[in-house]
Amino acid sequence: MAQQKQLQALSDEYQGFQTEMSSLVTARQKLESQQQENKSVQKEFSTLADDANIYKLVGPVLLKQDTTEAKSTVDGRLEYIGGEIKRIEVSIKEIQEKSEGKRTEIMQIQGAMQQSGTTA
Amino acid sequence: MAAAGEKGQQIDLNQLSVQQLTQVKKQFDDEVQHLSNSYQNLRVAQGKFRDCVTSIRDGVADSVKDKPLLVPLTSSLYVPGTLASTSHVLVDVGTGFFVEKSTSDATKFYQEKIQELEKNIKDLENVVNGKANNLRVVEEILRQKMLAQQQGQVEGQAG
Repeated sequence: MAQQKQLQALSDEYQGFQTEMSSLVTARQKLESQQQENKSVQKEFSTLADDANIYKLVGPVLLKQDTTEAKSTVDGRLEYIGGEIKRIEVSIKEIQEKSEGKRTEIMQIQGAMQQSGTTA
Repeated sequence: MAAAGEKGQQIDLNQLSVQQLTQVKKQFDDEVQHLSNSYQNLRVAQGKFRDCVTSIRDGVADSVKDKPLLVPLTSSLYVPGTLASTSHVLVDVGTGFFVEKSTSDATKFYQEKIQELEKNIKDLENVVNGKANNLRVVEEILRQKMLAQQQGQVEGQAG
């Protein structure tokens, strides 16, 4: 019975890791699409002349922005997104290792339960 | 190369149980579904860029310079207006940035986008076809296994 309880607790924890994992993966996907968009903006900006007129959408209105300012905004965003993606990658790896560990624990307990079941 | 890979996969699949095969099939189903959705989305996006090109050609040309037009304030309220410039437009380049471009540059920008998407669509098409093929292989093996299982049952009952 004690084993049953332990197994239950372990599988709950395992489930928790899985949920955490999927939310992390979703977050990474979102960041990646943002990165993609920012990259294409960066590429577009790099082809522009220095006196090009750039406007930024703030709420419902367009505000004129300095070219260099706009460029540095996008560069900054890309840097931030890159950092975030790295951070999330690390978390994903951690969770993966943890859930893998839990899985082996679960399998061990299941194996032990089966054995005690057959001997009894 | 591809044939060898597929053959190796097939041997692998034949060793799976019906249950496992069903799981594999479900996974492939989901993947194909997801990729087809992406494909659709890319097509829609491409269509939107095409609309932009058409709009620039027909809506911002010299021929319509002095024509009055109605500007929508809401979907049911319009005010008359005239085109301020037939030579320049503001192009949304993403993430809330708009760039003032000449109509020819803007058209070029959209054409490039369309081509880029076309390339992506082609790549995706290949991936979808590959996955669909895999799915067919799995389905075929699954059917054979099911048939074999049924026959085994019938024989078991007869004996």
